[in-house]
Amino acid sequence: MDPNSKKILLVEDEDFIRELYVRQLTKAGFQVKSAVDGQTGLNLLKSEAFDLLLLDIMLPGMNGLQLLREFKTQNPNSKMITILLTNLGQEAVIKEGFELGAQAYLIKASYTPD
Amino acid sequence: MKLPLLFKLITLIFFAVFVPLLAINFLNLQLPISLLFGAISIALAALILMLILKPLDKFVEAAKAMGAGNLHYKLDIRSADELQTVADAFNLMAGSLAFSFQKLEQEKDILSAEKNRIDSVLSSIVDGIIALDFNGNVVFANKAAEALTGFTNLELSSKSIAQFIHLFSDKDEIPTKIYCDTSFAQVVNLVGKDGKQTRVKLTTSKIEGAVQTNLGCLLILHDLSKEEELERMKLDFVSMASHELKTPLTSIIGYLSVYINENKANIPTDELSFLERSLVAAQQLLTLIQNILSVNKIERDQMSVTPQAVDYSTILTKCVDDLQNQAKLKNITMMLNLPPDLLPQVMADPIRIGEVVTNLVANAINYTDAGGKVSVTVEITPNEVKTIVSDSGVGIPKEALPHLFNKFFRVSNITQQASKGTGLGLYIAKSIITKLGGKIWVESELGKGSQFIFTLPVASKIKTFDSNTFVGQAIAQGALNY
Repeated sequence: MDPNSKKILLVEDEDFIRELYVRQLTKAGFQVKSAVDGQTGLNLLKSEAFDLLLLDIMLPGMNGLQLLREFKTQNPNSKMITILLTNLGQEAVIKEGFELGAQAYLIKASYTPD
Repeated sequence: MKLPLLFKLITLIFFAVFVPLLAINFLNLQLPISLLFGAISIALAALILMLILKPLDKFVEAAKAMGAGNLHYKLDIRSADELQTVADAFNLMAGSLAFSFQKLEQEKDILSAEKNRIDSVLSSIVDGIIALDFNGNVVFANKAAEALTGFTNLELSSKSIAQFIHLFSDKDEIPTKIYCDTSFAQVVNLVGKDGKQTRVKLTTSKIEGAVQTNLGCLLILHDLSKEEELERMKLDFVSMASHELKTPLTSIIGYLSVYINENKANIPTDELSFLERSLVAAQQLLTLIQNILSVNKIERDQMSVTPQAVDYSTILTKCVDDLQNQAKLKNITMMLNLPPDLLPQVMADPIRIGEVVTNLVANAINYTDAGGKVSVTVEITPNEVKTIVSDSGVGIPKEALPHLFNKFFRVSNITQQASKGTGLGLYIAKSIITKLGGKIWVESELGKGSQFIFTLPVASKIKTFDSNTFVGQAIAQGALNY
């Protein structure tokens, strides 16, 4: 694997969806790590730097927005890009995420990585 | 044989007065004997008098018995004189009095049975009923009204309703005069004893021509709290079920589309079409679930539509471009006609307005035959931007036009032809446009295509939108609660 390839952290609790994303992103040449809940995700973010965070909102325990808020408070200067993984109809959540520093959102159901 | 009282009195006088007189004067009796004679006479007279007066005791007794309520007492006097006649008349009177009383008693029973029946009818009614007189005083309140207000009939009776029961529409109290002087039907908040609040549907009716009964108006209070609770539970269930359905469906679509993409080249054409059809069906199911969720949000009043100044032409271009492929598959020419002048910014929610445009254009493509035309045209007026989505399709029958924006309505309901829609898209579009302060309508003629037109307000430079507050509000209102 190309040592310069970008590092992605995926936080998603649905196994099938997480595994599909990991597979497709790895296939595309990215270094991918994944977490099944907010706390695990936050721990991974603390232990290493990522270029991109793919963040589900509805997570068990700590939700995606709480994770993002926590991370941004601790690392206000992080250059990591955050993309929210959402369902359609979560506009309010998306806006809240943007205010917390997310750069984009994906509607999971209508977008499949290939 | 009848002996009149006069005759009896004459006999009495005869024995008491004349016999001793005659005896003394004509018989020339010695004094002691005549005295004895006199005494015997007087005794005889007294006896006769007692015999005459005896029936009077019976009269006293009878009058006492009747006074005590025994109207069936029979006076038994056989004195064969006027006293017997009076007694007979007395008996007759007692008889007819007894009969009258019996009749009255019967009528009272009938009336009270009638009253009981009406009382049980009124108290069996699940809605609260309160009757007021002309001065707004409570005349009657049934059981349900007692339960709703917390006051008993006794507490309310003959007192002004305004003292006890307060009815609010939003935050304004509705005065008695308003709801009683007109026929009134509105959902209101009822505040009763100890501030007890209930959401009720209040229906009032003025009681006409009831001057004698002194009835002014009738209030019917229909308790809505249970219905609203049920409705909320239903909506919560639909929301939860839809979200739960969406998760596995997202996986199905994801894996299927990855599989198709990776193996397209190796799968025989007809088998590939099986997979593609599965994918199309799954996507249709997802659209349906998303529409149901949108409708659910509209009904829970949680559809977040955030108007902000947006660059409309970018959104339009993207929506039309995204559907260009679908149009091409049906060999439909699709055009976007933007006015030559720069489009002003409009007040809209960028995500929601995209949904509306996509929905209308997708509909236009769906209902237009191959080789047809679909166009999106934008017109500018000083205050509004008008968007016209027109097609050369089958058109909409006249009788369907008024129902088009209703929930679950599909033209196929009328034409009996199958159609692909869910019957929710236009309902959602209307809700969004209305929330954005615009209007949406349709012009169509069967066989001549349709035009769906909506307007959006032009964003004025003064209006700014504080998105922080709004997002906070939306979340507080439960946008995050599934």
